[in-house]
Order: sequence, then C-alpha cells, then structure tokens
Amino acid sequence: MNEAKGTFTVKNRLGLHARAASKLVQLASSFPCEVVLSHGGQAANAKSVMGVLLLCGSKGTELQVEASGDCAEEAVERIGELINDRFGEPE
Amino acid sequence: MTDGRQESSPPPPTERRPAITLEGIAGSPGLAVGRAVVVDTRRPGVARHRVAKHRVDEEMVRFDEAVQLAAKGLHDVASNVRTSSIRAELSILEAYIMMVQDPSLRDDVERHVRIDRQCAEWAVDTALHEMAEHLRAGIDPYLAERSHDFEFVGDRIIRALTGRQRALSLPELGEPSILIAHDLSPAETAGLSKKTVLAMVTEVGTRTSHTAILSRALELPAVVGVRDILSTVANGDLVFVDALRGRVTLNPSAEMLERGEARVERYAAVGRKLRESRDRPAVTRCGVPISLKANIELPSEAGIALELGAQGVGLYRTEFLYVNRDEPPGEDGQYAIYKRVLETITPLPVTLRTFDIGGDKFVSAFQAPPEMNPALGLRAVRLALARPELFLAQLRAMVRASAHGPLSIMIPMISSVRELRSVRALVEQAIREVDEAGHAHAEHVPLGIMVEVPSAAVMAEELAREAEFMSIGTNDLVQYSLAVDRSSRELAYIASPFDPAILRLIRGVVTAAQRHQRPVAVCGAMASDPLASTLLVGMGLRELSMEASAIPAVKEAIRRVNLANAEAVAAEAMQQLAADEAEKVVADAFAPLLADVLDAEFSAA
Repeated sequence: MNEAKGTFTVKNRLGLHARAASKLVQLASSFPCEVVLSHGGQAANAKSVMGVLLLCGSKGTELQVEASGDCAEEAVERIGELINDRFGEPE
Repeated sequence: MTDGRQESSPPPPTERRPAITLEGIAGSPGLAVGRAVVVDTRRPGVARHRVAKHRVDEEMVRFDEAVQLAAKGLHDVASNVRTSSIRAELSILEAYIMMVQDPSLRDDVERHVRIDRQCAEWAVDTALHEMAEHLRAGIDPYLAERSHDFEFVGDRIIRALTGRQRALSLPELGEPSILIAHDLSPAETAGLSKKTVLAMVTEVGTRTSHTAILSRALELPAVVGVRDILSTVANGDLVFVDALRGRVTLNPSAEMLERGEARVERYAAVGRKLRESRDRPAVTRCGVPISLKANIELPSEAGIALELGAQGVGLYRTEFLYVNRDEPPGEDGQYAIYKRVLETITPLPVTLRTFDIGGDKFVSAFQAPPEMNPALGLRAVRLALARPELFLAQLRAMVRASAHGPLSIMIPMISSVRELRSVRALVEQAIREVDEAGHAHAEHVPLGIMVEVPSAAVMAEELAREAEFMSIGTNDLVQYSLAVDRSSRELAYIASPFDPAILRLIRGVVTAAQRHQRPVAVCGAMASDPLASTLLVGMGLRELSMEASAIPAVKEAIRRVNLANAEAVAAEAMQQLAADEAEKVVADAFAPLLADVLDAEFSAA
C-alpha cells in the first residue's frame, strides 16, 4: 500500500474557511486514495467539507496530510501546493 | 412550523386596526401592496423516535434518499439563478450542495442510527448540532459564523425526510404575497419567484447583505432591517411595502391604500418604459451622445451597473477595502479585486479613485489623533501623501490592474497644483516598481482629479493643464463652498447644487477642461437627478457618473431634451441669484416634459 505524508502551514488570512475547505475537498476527492488531515490531536477525512471545517484550521495552523492508497504521493503533493498557494486567495 | 396557521384562510382585516408605519432600509427598489405571509425561518420541530433493530438499514436508505432530494433541491435553486452578476453568491449554494452530501455527516448519522437507534431526522439533528456546537466553541469568530450553514444544511435534509422537500423552506404561496421573515438565507432568497412574491421584508440585513444584493438581482422589492416587525404583523394583514424609501405600512387606511396602489401602478408603468430604454443609446433628442457611467463601491455591483446600461464605471470607490479591518489591504489583494472589476466592465472604461477616507475611519494601525472637524482634516489625498508607503501599495495594485482593461486613476480632494504634482511623482514611482517586479501594465494610465474643494475649482485652468481628466464631486463642492455640513438637516435648505455660486464654479471647471481638451464629468448626486442632469448637459457636460439605479431615468430625461434648448435654459438658470430661482427656471422648462420620469418613485429609487 502506498503511503505518503507531509506537514504544511495554513497561510491565508481566513484560514480553512468554507470556500478554502471546499477547494481542498474537491481536490482530495479527485484522488482514489484515502486522505486524512490532522492537527492538535484532531483528524478529519479530507473528502468531507464538514470534517475539514471542524478542524478549525486558522492562519498559522500546522496541518498534517496523510494519504494511503493509489496516488498517495501525488495527493499529498498537490494538497500541499494548494495550501502553500493560500488556496488561490490573494492574502 | 406554522403550516397549520398558513393553511387556514387569512382573517379579514378589521377596519379598526390602526395603520402602523415601520422604518427599515431600502434593500431593493420597488413598491407593492399585498397580504402578509409570515415565514417562520426557525428550524422545524424534529421527530424523535427510536427505530427497531431490523429497520436500521431502511432508516439509512431513507437518509440517503433524503440527501439526494435535498441536493437536487439546491441544484434547482442554483440553476434558477442565471443572472451573471450574482455568480459570487452562488458559490455558497455549491458549498451547501457539498455539505448535504458530506461523507463525515453520513458517518455520524449512521452511528446515531445504528448504535443509538435514533430515527434519521433525529440522527441528522444530533450530528449537525454537535458539529455546530464544536464550531461555536472555537476561538475563530468567522468559523463560529459557519455554524449557521451547518444548521441550514441539517434543515434541508430534515425537510426532505419529512416530505417537505420543496426547493425552499418557504410556505406554498397561493396568491402573490408579501413575504415577511426574521431573515432569509441567500439560498432561500435565490429561490423566490416574482410570480408568487410581491415583495419581501426582513428584520435583519443591510443594503449590502447577500439577501439585499440577490433581491436586487431578482428585481424583487425588499425592505430589510425592519426591527421587530414579526411582533407586529400577522398572517393575512394588508401591507404596503415602500422599498423606495425603506418603509413598511401595516393595515394602511383606505385612503393610504388608494394612494399606495396608484403609486404601484405608476411605478410599474414607468419601470416598463425605462427598461425598454436600457438598450437605447444615451443621446439628446438632437443626437448628441452623453456618456452615462456608474458609481460603484463593491465588485459585485459592476455586473448590475452593466445591466442598467452603464457605459463604464466613472467612479469606483475603494474606501470599503480599508474600513473594518485590522491591517491595511495588501497590494496583491487589491489587485485581485480591481482586476475582477476591470474584467467585468472591459472593453468599457473604469476610473478607480484612490482611498477617500479620513484618519478617523482608518485601520487601527494608522489611526490618527481625533480631529475637531474631520471633513477639513487629514483625509483622502492628504492622508495618502502623509502615508506614502500605504498609497504606493494602492497605486501599484491599480497600475497592475491596467493590464486588464482601460483604467484611469482619480485622486480625491485635490486642493492645489502642488498636491497633484506630488501624486504624479508617486504614480511614476509606482509604475517603476511594477516594472521592476516584472508585472504587466498598460502603456499609459491616465491620472485625473476630483474637483470638490473650492480652491481646485478656482484653479481649474492651471489644474487642467496637468490633470488628464477632471470629475466634479458636487456633494463635497457644495459642502465646502457653502460651508454647510452635509449631515445638517437644519441647514439642508442652503446646500443646493443649484446655488448660483456652485453653478458658476462648475461652469468654470467645464470651460477650463474644454480649453485644454480634457474630459470632464460630474460624479456627485447632482448627476443622478434627471432634472439637474439636463442642466448639466446644457452647461457643457458630456459625461455623468451616478448610482447605477439612476441611469435609466437620467437617460430617458436626456433623450427627451434638445441640446439647444438645454443650453438656453442653462444660460438663464446661471443668471439667477438664488438656488430656488435657478431650479425653478430648469423645472419650468423641462419638468412638464419629464413628468413621469420625475415622479417621486424615481427620485427615491
């Protein structure tokens, strides 16, 4: 089983708010592997908007991304890019 | 839920109930008379019963079907909203659709059904309640606000489960009615139809809330922010909604009703005529083109302005970017917003005005000491020159946005040639910095000024040599020239743009601009008044910028007037020695011709 993980810091001002969470979930859902986000002892299915919102990831949060299954490495890489790109938000 | 109440026929209004007028905010213009339907937007009562062990699978099938129904209902709402100007508001509907089908939600619901044997309704309620509590307990106020979204999503699924799977949580409206609610979500508003809803009234909301913006896009009259109306109104009450003035009258007297109905009829007739005029060119009767542009403040207003026939944006106010925030907006953030406006309006032109606020309203980090008289204090270009790093960030964002369409930069409150020169040096610096950073921009970005300080009007000749265009801000010009506070009610009678001194200043600016072949416009409230606009055209103005909603009426007025007539009337008006006399000259000449356009309905809209 392929496994991959990475840690990324949330940089956008509003954090993991509804629109950012939707983007992340849409991206995660495009991969066949399972993806789990976690921080501060809480974990969430990265394919669930509500789960991601409930992580309350504000600006500065260190988010761990773990994937297992097909395309795990690519999934972690692409999700990391999205977070580093501030979810495409200007600030 | 109040379904039982709504099904019973409305009680006949008793003659004796006194008329009550409640004040609110005009959220979306229009007038309507009809019966009230009070909508309880609180969540419906939730069935709570235990399911037998052998029915657990069935219960999950019910849940899955309800999710499909709820998602379909939201899809239907989204596809009903086709107006391009509210696409941004649709993203929230898309998020709701994802949330309704959320796998974590399903896991939680399944746990409550299988282990706790809760029926599906109860399980959904429990799961969403836990999630909403979790968000509310967090420290992030923005996320805490999202708990409402969770409740809305739960509501959609529970309604689908109980067979109330209409597209909306609103009652069936038998006859066209006035909808009255504490609040309506964007999804609920987007699902309203003009066929069944005459107007809507809510207790909360502002002119810029999603609900108000959506109702304007749907052309549904709306009065928002009417406090405590739910404690006063009952189902079936007769209601007159004046969404031009932001007023709601309950149980109007027979006489009020007659007047109201006549206004509704007139408003509808003139509205039809004006809508037809939307696509007609803005030319005088003799064929001279007059450019009518929009003053806007929010990016989402750009699309609405185009739909109302604006020939560009003559004034884009950037103040909203600065107020109510902890730190000033960055260059990249501003650039993204300007780019969006440019892309909506292009190929028509956009004039961006640099921030026009005082230190008192500014972000906390830059708060200046309080001033005795902020209107005469450190504000607009003065503040910009005092904080060049802040101003440069805005200028760089504007310069970069010029890559996406015709853009000009306008400086507010210029009072001297020296100020304009200081600004020009900073604009040139901003262009160099944008080049150094490797960003694209237009070859030339015109730099113009607002003429609103009397000294600038007096020095119009010299300023016109160096400013590439001028726009007269009549509101501040009146306040500063006549020394009348804009907010003073007692002195409002003095503060008229028809004052001979004001007309003379405007005329001087127009003459100076013409001599130097500079475009000149008026962008104050005067431009949005159909009668005053004929005077401005007669005085030589060929460009007017106004609230987008005023464009159809002003265009209609201009189309009915001959330039030679307008010039003769303007010349006579300018010889008068008092504001009311000048106004009378214009009114005597043109009011009969414009009677329907000048109707109170439009001056208020």
